[in-house]
This record gives sequence, structure tokens and C-alpha cells, in this order.
Amino acid sequence: MKSQFPLFRKRDILVFLVAAVLAIAGFLQWIPKSGTPVAVIEQNGKEIRRVELSSITQPETIVLEGEISVTVLLEPGQVSIVHSDCPDQICVNTGALTRPGQSAVCLPARVSVRIVGENNSGIDGMTG
Amino acid sequence: MKSSAKFVAFTGILAALAVVLSLLENLLPPIPGMPPGAKLGLSNIVSMYAAGCVGFFPAMTVALAKGLFAFLTRGVTAGLMSTAGGLFSTLIVWLLLKKLRFGLLGASAAGALAHNAAQLMIACLLTSSAVLYYAPILVLLGTASGTLTGLVLGVLLPPLEKLQRR
Repeated sequence: MKSQFPLFRKRDILVFLVAAVLAIAGFLQWIPKSGTPVAVIEQNGKEIRRVELSSITQPETIVLEGEISVTVLLEPGQVSIVHSDCPDQICVNTGALTRPGQSAVCLPARVSVRIVGENNSGIDGMTG
Repeated sequence: MKSSAKFVAFTGILAALAVVLSLLENLLPPIPGMPPGAKLGLSNIVSMYAAGCVGFFPAMTVALAKGLFAFLTRGVTAGLMSTAGGLFSTLIVWLLLKKLRFGLLGASAAGALAHNAAQLMIACLLTSSAVLYYAPILVLLGTASGTLTGLVLGVLLPPLEKLQRR
């Protein structure tokens, strides 16, 4: 006996095409953007701290208190979530962020750390 | 299904089945290499069956029951995400399957994508737009898991429809 719903119709290809376009568009956003990396730390949708990564000279930990507490570590040139009370630890496993466009998110704690590229420094470029 | 008591009971059974499937799925260990939280969406098989063979409102009831269960067992954030994802994906599946006459694979994949999209929107509202970083992975995983659940439903549907006709 056949079901009233066929497994596949030609128009199903539309769904997969849309998915492919969305995925490609999304992955293109992962390409590191130019600009000075600036770490932005947010909790409950509010900005807690904004710091230029290259201006950090010594490690600093920021503890974001809340129902679920999160510890963010700022180091010269990078930022990472080093501890979270949440069960899944996605944010901690993300590791250190160094380039504009990267982000680490702890959904249960509603904390996000991301790096944006800013172009307002007087330096045109740097090697090293 | 003629009597309304039978109808309500049947919807209840489906809702219980969806809850049990999502509970079982949560017990599975996370797949290595996959972002934790990525799920197969087994219970979507139930809401898809409900949307296709029982009706729009029973299907939405199943999605709501699942959301309520997540709310009770895993907290407000999980509850909100599950409810939004479930309702939106059920709506999309119903539209594609019943109104636009898509096949099971297309409707299932679109449903999984809708589920992820709604959850991402909620996550975006709760935290910041930084979560959009995960969007392309979610699109790929959603398409894969949606296709898989669509295949499972393709195998299960013929006997289920035979049962329902009794």
C-alpha cells in the first residue's frame, strides 16, 4: 500500500537549494574581516565591556555574576570564556577568539563574547 | 476518526510519544565533532505525522506539549526555544505537506530548518546577534537531520495510515 504522501517530489529540490544558498552565505560571514580586533562582552543583551585586543598588556579575568556565572579571560591579543556554570560548556569549548567575526556564546547564562573589527586606529597595518 | 473523545485521546498519545522521543534523544551522548546541542529531532517525526495525517491543531498541540515539557524539565530558556521551534516548524511542515504538496523529504528538511531558525531568533533575542555565527552549521545539520527524519517517516507512514483507517 502506498502512502498519500510521496517521499520525494521535484519541488523538494527548492528546499535543498534554499538551504545550500543559506549555508554558503553564512560560511562567507566566517571569513575574517579586516580591522583592529575589539572584544565586546555582553550579558543579558547589555554591553559590559569593550576593549581593543592589542591594548591588553596583562591577563585580566572578568567574572560575570548571575544565575549562571561566567568567567571571561582577556589576554594580550585574545579573549576566551574560561569558565561557565552552565551544563553544556559550548562557550568554554569554543576556545580563544583572536580575529574579528569570531564569537563565543553561553546561551543559558545569556553571555556573549565576540570580536568586531574597528577601523579607527591610526595604524594602517602591522606585521608580526 | 469520528468521535471527538477518540480524537483527543489520539492527540494525547501523540504528544506523549513526542515527549518520550525527545527525552530519549537527550539521553544520547553528544556526537563527537558535532556542536553540543545539535539534535536529531526524532520527535519531529511525530509532529510531522500529526500535521500530515491528523490535522493542524493536533499537530500544534503536540508541539506545545513538547515545549511545556522542556520548560518544566530544562528551564525557561530551553522551554522558550523548544516552543518557538516546535510551533514554527509544525506550521511550515503543515503548509508544505498539506497546502503546497511537497514531498516528505522536502517538508521534513524545511521543518528542521524552520525549527533551527526559530530557535536562533530566540537565542538572538536572549543574548546578542553573536549567535548568528552558528547559523551556517545549523543550516547544514538541520538539512541533514530533517532529511533523515523524513526518510524514517517515509518508512513508517504506510503502516500508520493503515492503522488509522480502522
